[in-house]
Amino acid sequence: MKVVLRNRVALAFGVLLAAIVALCLLAPVYAKDIAHTGPNQNHITDTVSVGGKQVDVVSPTGVPIGPTWKGRFLLGADSNGRDVAVRLLYGGRNSLEIGAIATAITLLLAIVLGTLAGYARGVTDGVLSRLFDLVWAYPAVLLGVALGVALAVGGINLGIFTLHSGSLLLPAFVIGVVVFPYVAKPLRAHTLSLREREFVDAARMMGYPPPFAGVRIMVSEILPNLSSTIVVFAPLIIANAILLEAALSYLGAGVQAPNPSWGTMIADGTRLMPGAIHLVVVPGLMLVLTVLSVNVLADTLRDALDPKASLRGRL
Amino acid sequence: MHRTLHALTGMSLALALATGVGACGSSSTSSGGSGPVTVLMGTAPESLDPGLGATTQSYEATWITYTGLLTYAHATGEAGTKLIPGLAEGLPTVSKDGKTYTFTLRKGLVYSNGVPVKASDFAYTVKRTIKLGWGNKELLTENIAGGEAFDKGKASTVSGIQTNNATGKITIKLVAPYGPFVNVLAFPALGLVPTGTPIKSLTNSPPPGVGPYEITSVVPNKSFVLTRNPHFSSSTIPGVPTGHVNVDVKIVSNNQSEAEQVLGNTADVFDYNDTIPPTLLAQVESQAKGRYAKEPTVSGEYFFLNTKEAPFNNPLAREAVTYAIDRRALQRLASGMLDPGCFFLPVGMPGHPSGKCPYGEPNSETSAANFAKAKELIQQAGLKGAPVTVWGETRSPHKEFVDYYTSLLNEIGFKATEKIVADAQYYATIGNLSNKAQTGWVSFSQDFPNPIDFYQLLNAHSILPTENHNPSQVNDPHIQSELESLAPVSSSQLDTILSRWQALDEYTAQKAYMLVFGYDEAPKFFSNRVDFGAAVFHPVYGNDWSTLQLK
Repeated sequence: MKVVLRNRVALAFGVLLAAIVALCLLAPVYAKDIAHTGPNQNHITDTVSVGGKQVDVVSPTGVPIGPTWKGRFLLGADSNGRDVAVRLLYGGRNSLEIGAIATAITLLLAIVLGTLAGYARGVTDGVLSRLFDLVWAYPAVLLGVALGVALAVGGINLGIFTLHSGSLLLPAFVIGVVVFPYVAKPLRAHTLSLREREFVDAARMMGYPPPFAGVRIMVSEILPNLSSTIVVFAPLIIANAILLEAALSYLGAGVQAPNPSWGTMIADGTRLMPGAIHLVVVPGLMLVLTVLSVNVLADTLRDALDPKASLRGRL
Repeated sequence: MHRTLHALTGMSLALALATGVGACGSSSTSSGGSGPVTVLMGTAPESLDPGLGATTQSYEATWITYTGLLTYAHATGEAGTKLIPGLAEGLPTVSKDGKTYTFTLRKGLVYSNGVPVKASDFAYTVKRTIKLGWGNKELLTENIAGGEAFDKGKASTVSGIQTNNATGKITIKLVAPYGPFVNVLAFPALGLVPTGTPIKSLTNSPPPGVGPYEITSVVPNKSFVLTRNPHFSSSTIPGVPTGHVNVDVKIVSNNQSEAEQVLGNTADVFDYNDTIPPTLLAQVESQAKGRYAKEPTVSGEYFFLNTKEAPFNNPLAREAVTYAIDRRALQRLASGMLDPGCFFLPVGMPGHPSGKCPYGEPNSETSAANFAKAKELIQQAGLKGAPVTVWGETRSPHKEFVDYYTSLLNEIGFKATEKIVADAQYYATIGNLSNKAQTGWVSFSQDFPNPIDFYQLLNAHSILPTENHNPSQVNDPHIQSELESLAPVSSSQLDTILSRWQALDEYTAQKAYMLVFGYDEAPKFFSNRVDFGAAVFHPVYGNDWSTLQLK
């Protein structure tokens, strides 16, 4: 924290990120008390007062109103007459939520499988490493699109584990599956090195009771020593997950309509380029600022935890 | 009845802007001087093999490259719905029982490769089309005697077709009288191909045919060329123009780019199946005067309401959405290129009712009373909170239609979500009964000017496990008996049964089997190189490329 407070750039981006997150969390309040409309509510044939005149929210030829700089349609409307500002905040909630959940899934998979592969070695390592390679071999966006599109129709139904096709957890799950090898591989390599260290030998000699001796060593000895690596990776994953979610949503393989996300908003807005350029610029700008803020904070955190910069996370 | 198929590609402001910049780009030029015209298509034809293609995009190319025994007059408006002799010398002689059609082939016809046309080629063409699985093959297998047996592999020939190469005589026997059979014969799928043409998809190298053009230089999903057929002259088939210039067809999936290219005269013809983006429409209207017009089409848009799946198996649910819909909103989403309407048979199709819509006027605002009634009906049916999945495709404005409709369903009490499927897979997905599609968007346009074409979408026989053509799964005894009774009446005698078609269509609207919301208007939009007035906008096949000529 001190490092962040000392670094003015990091501080500025930290404040910016906090502001974006706070605004997004307050989306329902804004929608209800200021804009008086929901994120998916159409107003195609409504009118709104601008400069004392009643103006169509969407013109008879389908052109939506631009920013009114008032409570209603502050940033204008989209082609369906939906309030862009309301969708922007709800879209941000969705994007941030998916980014956070995807990061949790990525870390869970990466920590469990990476540590297991590195600690167990042998056949287990061979199988898991090939799995990492297999997923890694596919470009992330391409694999994400393939999974997202395939699951968009039917969702996931594995008995006790069910995800509805419209669920926000679905893109989070897809991103988690696509990204986890990028973290699992460095964690495996780090575990391979740690398992040869004296404190691990000492733990083994202390004789943890079977059958979970290995698990206990991994949890109590290896994992704490991976924590700085994980802490550095986490914000990087969040930034990439938000970006990947936007890409998948833009391509129709992420957040499913009519739910907003910054990616879907950009996709919807391209139809009305260049006449209604704000429909693309506003969510695009929010996306850039959020990802930039998270990346600057991640860099600052990495510098604080790894001053020699021996670890450079690249996803 | 064929359904129109319209065919996206990390993310940051930079990418978003890049997308916009990409959209502003232009493709190859065709401006100035003589030479081919460049036609832009938003969606690639399903196939350029006449035995397979069954979409508007396919027909647009194949109807001037594969002429059948009959074809349509190359004219705008109602005149274009008139059948004229194609490869046949004249219109058919029909037996008194309406089951036997006799034609005689014109003499001296040759294919685009110079090979003479034989009467037996017709029988071969029908067999090939059935074997390839053309999208409307039921029109052949269910009507021509022996068609079904051939399709099922029980016979090696279609017994109902007899040909004589010496005299050019072709006799077709039907299982039962089918009035629009003459229209079936005018499908490009029955445009003759030489006997021995491989029975496999030749979409990348289409077979020779008889017509003003031949299809060459096919680059799948990218481009193809219609080259003037050197073996076709103005005397070959009276009434079929020879064509003026070669036609370069390019697939451009971005409407914005498409419109900008035509507006900027770097391409010549805008795809009439596409919508000019709203933000460009005013510019087009002001800068392209004399080369842009709205053309009425015999086609429309509706949301199907699956009568076999909850909640729309409940008539109250269907009535509720019909009461609540605001068709003017959908008109705006279509950039104003939609004429609001409630009847299944579109304006311009014989049988379109002249009466009032049963659930409120389509051109006026949904009244508060109607909206309240919709909510009340949902409540009364015990369907408040019932989950509904709305299916749609990605192409604009179809996705926007679905966004509006989903919002509407939520407002009246359902719990609606969307499933948006890639355009190319959309109809196959909703047409697979295992997906149990409850409701979703469908576009419909005429294959031939007879109301029975549209009513195939409500015919119980069209309910199929895959490639289902009746998405609402309507199986109504009244509709079935009327269809059986009206089917034998010839297209030329439609006037005698118009009132029955009107009554049937009013009945269908009353039953709310689907939520029809309007009839399409199409943009006829050319570059300033093309003679706008001379170009025919055909009521069945859209822009008639054989009438395109440079100024």
